[in-house]
Amino acid sequence: MRIVPYAARQGLVSSYLRRLRQRSFTLSDSLFAYVLNLPALVVVLALIAYPIGYSFWLSLHRYNLKRPDLYRFVGIENYREILTDRVFLNSLTVSVIFSLLSVGLILILSLTFALLLNETFLGRGVMRSLVLLPWAIPGVVNGMMWSWIFNAKVGALNGVLVSLGLIEEYRRWLSSPTSALLAAVFAHVWNMVPFSVIILLAGLASIPSELYDSARVDRCGVLQRFRHVTLPWLLHPLLIVLILQTMNAFRTFDTIYILTGGGPGEATNVIALQTVRTVLDFTDFGLGNAYAYVIMLITLVISIAYVRLLYQRGSFET
Amino acid sequence: MSASAASRLSIWSARLPWRSLAIYTLSVVVAAYLLAPFAWLVLTSFMTEAEARSVPPHWIPEQPTVSNYLAFANPSPELRMVGSRAIQETPRALLNSALVAVSTALLNLVIATLAAYTFARLNFRGSRLLLMTYLTSRMVPGIAIIIPFYILMRRLGLLDTHLALILSYSTFTLPFTIWILKDYFRTIPRDLEDAARVDRCNWFGMMWRVFIPISAPGLVAAAVFAFMFAWNEFLFALFLTSTIRSKTIPIVVANFATDLDVQFTFMAAAGVLAVIPPLVLALLFQRLIVQGLAAGSVKG
Repeated sequence: MRIVPYAARQGLVSSYLRRLRQRSFTLSDSLFAYVLNLPALVVVLALIAYPIGYSFWLSLHRYNLKRPDLYRFVGIENYREILTDRVFLNSLTVSVIFSLLSVGLILILSLTFALLLNETFLGRGVMRSLVLLPWAIPGVVNGMMWSWIFNAKVGALNGVLVSLGLIEEYRRWLSSPTSALLAAVFAHVWNMVPFSVIILLAGLASIPSELYDSARVDRCGVLQRFRHVTLPWLLHPLLIVLILQTMNAFRTFDTIYILTGGGPGEATNVIALQTVRTVLDFTDFGLGNAYAYVIMLITLVISIAYVRLLYQRGSFET
Repeated sequence: MSASAASRLSIWSARLPWRSLAIYTLSVVVAAYLLAPFAWLVLTSFMTEAEARSVPPHWIPEQPTVSNYLAFANPSPELRMVGSRAIQETPRALLNSALVAVSTALLNLVIATLAAYTFARLNFRGSRLLLMTYLTSRMVPGIAIIIPFYILMRRLGLLDTHLALILSYSTFTLPFTIWILKDYFRTIPRDLEDAARVDRCNWFGMMWRVFIPISAPGLVAAAVFAFMFAWNEFLFALFLTSTIRSKTIPIVVANFATDLDVQFTFMAAAGVLAVIPPLVLALLFQRLIVQGLAAGSVKG
């Protein structure tokens, strides 16, 4: 029998113990863990997972709350219908344009704001508090506030623009399709920018200051420094902003509902608004669920990208 | 001579405060962008209706009045007559919102504390999958599940109750709360836990004496997020409430906004009232909120 040196034996024992702890603790720990997770699991499964499944089931039916006698299984009929439905395709287009404009504007503004607030200057603390203001405002109040600002007769925007001499006469901002869509984008962006600024500021704070010092030693200009130091480090937070804000823009509802109600015509009738209308105004639960499912599939694709991104950063390491 | 001129020139170009000039100009523009829209709403809420509708629009109330706010507490008979129902409903809606938001925050903390402990301390099969499930459920858009949720609540007889709102808001805020608390719990040294065990605390005693006090900042941040989500939420409230028994303030504000007869100054005042709680929370817990938002999205 070989005699194992004491030190090596010690190492073997401790590694064995470690392995033992990792494995054998699993059974009792697992039971305990699932008991503790039970309430959260019940909530998530009963109130999210079950509705998702049920929603899909309903989307395969003709189901109008006002005509329960017509309830029957129709398979993918609802989906076939929406693919040729002018109203639905229009709302999908509006949503895509709305999202592209919003996300683009949010990226530009939040990057500018974050770079500004990352500098040291008198009043930075106040500015950092101020940035939280739009974030705290409920979407409904946001929509109401902007509808008053864009008001054709007594709105602040007309007043400011005329007194600055930028426009000759008062405009009816919410009456033309293009300017109404832009107004909706503006209102949405104002509400959403702070969240992105905070994420980008956290990203900026994580850049080691030595990198800036060495950039200074190398006599990099401001732009070069931005390109070679700041941007690479900000890439990940920027991607997160991009993904979360695309998702946000695609499902947005309350601000537009109050600001334009989808009008004029259907110029700002985003897909979430169209879904709510189908359900609340036309009580068409079958078709509404088909709409809802399209929104879900689109956000699902986006969120998979998001989770993968977090995964790559090792956020799930336990 | 030419050398001194050159050095003076370089001093000039170095001393000219281009950087601060650019920063302060940009700051003023950014501050105006962030502040002006809301300031307009607040200032309007202190105007008389005639002043608010005068052309050209102006910012500073000439005869500031708080009558718009007083009208909610005690609507005058004429107001009752012409009546915007929304004016009478505002105080009760604020109360409903407060009840729902506080309950959502508390329910969140209790359920999430239990779950977060398992991810911070226990080594169990399927923990990663479970965490992924929570995270993915946070991504589900409300609009996608609102119809079945509505049908479910109708079957349970919970339509137009606070409970329906609290349950639905908890499902949306739980994943984030678990996520934040998990990170806080991980920073707690195991020694403290062991010490509590030695003192013969049972698991609940140990949580109460060790985990809860140490992670107080995380709990507060999570509660604030849940409160604000519940306070601001509109879509579910639109489907699940129908009378003033459970209507929350966003619904009443929306009623104002879609009611053409209503005076704008009342609407502005109601809007300001609806903003005060989340705004006060955001400013009070600024640091925690910023940390929480950043932690919830940038890192795990």
